Amino acid sequence: MNDDKKLEAIRRKTRQRLIFTGITLVLYFSYVFNYTTDNPLLGRLVGDSHISGSLVMFVCLIVSFIGLELLFLAINRHRGED
Amino acid sequence: MVLGKIASALALLTPLAAVAAPAIDGEVERQAVNPTAIVMFLIFVAATLAITWWAARRTRSSKDFYTAGGEITGLQNGTAIAGDFMSAASFLGITGLIFLGGFDGLVLALGAFSAWPLMLFLLAKRVRNLGSFTFVDVVSMRLDRTPIRIVALLGTVTVVVLYLIAQMVGAGKLIELLFGLPYNVAVISVSILVLAYVTFGGMLATTWVQIIKAILLITGVTICAFLVMKEVGFSIDALLAGAADNHPRGMAILSPGVLFRDPVQIATILVSMMFGTLGLPHILMRLFTVPNMHEAKKSALYASLFMGYFYLAIIVLGFGTAYLLYNNPQFFDAQGKIIGGSNMAAIHLANAVGGDLLTGFMSAVSFATILAVVAGLTVSGAAAIAHDLYAEVLCKGKPDHKTEMRLTRITTIAIGIIAVILGILFQNENVAFIATMPMVVAASVNFPILFLSLFWSGLTTRGSISGALVGLVSSVALIVIGPQVWVSVLGHEAPLFPYNYPALFTLPLALVVTWSVSVSDRSERGKVDRDNYHDLLIRSEFGPQDGVLEVARH
Repeated sequence: MNDDKKLEAIRRKTRQRLIFTGITLVLYFSYVFNYTTDNPLLGRLVGDSHISGSLVMFVCLIVSFIGLELLFLAINRHRGED
Repeated sequence: MVLGKIASALALLTPLAAVAAPAIDGEVERQAVNPTAIVMFLIFVAATLAITWWAARRTRSSKDFYTAGGEITGLQNGTAIAGDFMSAASFLGITGLIFLGGFDGLVLALGAFSAWPLMLFLLAKRVRNLGSFTFVDVVSMRLDRTPIRIVALLGTVTVVVLYLIAQMVGAGKLIELLFGLPYNVAVISVSILVLAYVTFGGMLATTWVQIIKAILLITGVTICAFLVMKEVGFSIDALLAGAADNHPRGMAILSPGVLFRDPVQIATILVSMMFGTLGLPHILMRLFTVPNMHEAKKSALYASLFMGYFYLAIIVLGFGTAYLLYNNPQFFDAQGKIIGGSNMAAIHLANAVGGDLLTGFMSAVSFATILAVVAGLTVSGAAAIAHDLYAEVLCKGKPDHKTEMRLTRITTIAIGIIAVILGILFQNENVAFIATMPMVVAASVNFPILFLSLFWSGLTTRGSISGALVGLVSSVALIVIGPQVWVSVLGHEAPLFPYNYPALFTLPLALVVTWSVSVSDRSERGKVDRDNYHDLLIRSEFGPQDGVLEVARH
């Protein structure tokens, strides 16, 4: 592989890295919405249960981050870059 | 008074002590000697010393010492990372915060966990491909090696020493509380054991101590969570309903707002935790212990899986403490405060659901946790002095390897002795701010240098040094004028800066200074630094065989 092709591959990988990073950061900092005054969904309990929207969000964030990692690795494996 | 400080000092085990500390109070007596805990802990010590003996026979070179010869598998390394990172703070501190404030305690769990996806996306591959022993190797690759190594070394040593003081003081108090051992004996015991692991077994022994500890901690948490769920018929809803019924704040604990209300405060915590973790030298060092980049990525994933499971289980434990402890007077003193402070809530929960046996097990696990974290810090500190300073700066990358190994072991012993001295010196001081600093300094000094050196072609040595120094000075200054030092230590009525974790402000400041100095740098060295980026980029993605940074070695 010559230098130009390597740089093109690197650009593609860097783009992918930054997209996944951006998604993670947006999800992560959305947690701050739990502490803003206007959070009707997060502040409410789910149905008749005692599970709050905030708690659901916490669990979903943890699961989503693991899902993103698995997806990132799967894409790399699919492209033969692992 | 002194006993009250015991509870407060437990908060030092967490890098978020400043958050936890206000929530911790209550006069506590040193606990009676707990034979079950001591027997279980002695079994752990015997097993880990046997591993150290085995590891010592395999630790011959500096590569063996710092990175276990690079032969740890991804699964092992991921478990060790989890063992290194899931400190007693995570188990005791976060559970205690949920006990006090319900949902709000979970912000620490999210902060602690969420750095790992970014470790995989941004750092794992590039750092693994560029470094050899420490993250300082990576940042010095394209920049003027001597000044940038000295600055990065300053960041590393600052983080390691502050983290170590916090761990040692917290450890001494915690062990005093859990095992009934005198403070000084506890501090010296921790240091002697860690010295045995690290001096003889290096990173290999440290890795296995962390693996065993991670397995024990996850096992203990799983058993506790299972027993709590059994109490409520395996219904999360019933658990939360019971917690709300028994907690003095009632339904409020199910939603945000009991401990924290200010969204900026939450943002400062999130920034400090995420970017601080990405700049912790002893965590980054673990990326070099695996044989290749593939295993490095697997390490980050496995670490995430273990920690994700752990922090989800902490929900059950945290709300379990609210459900099972508040209506049980045996866990409260005459003043109505929980015995040992809120950080003991997890241990009381173990007692409530599993009796003395589970209490002893969880106490032993907590002690093992401290040993694992201190061992990781000690290896990192030894590498900073013997490798980064002696081998790379003083010997210009051509050290005498026997001298380097000897220096490594001497440094390890010196760190152990310093840790004991500092642990004893600071035992009666309000040093919660010391636990704040490592995460903020790592986020404001180490992370910006590392990230920009990997992802920005315009970075120059001058820009890096300026940004790092501004990050360091601003971090320390804002912590000093913040609530932890200005009010709690210096006794002023109100802080000049309202937040305990200033990384939300100092990290962007460091980035802006680094950027502005770099773009205005017209020096010859600046041109070399920019030109080096091309080779560094190729090597970072395609491995060392494809890019050779001859210029950077000048």
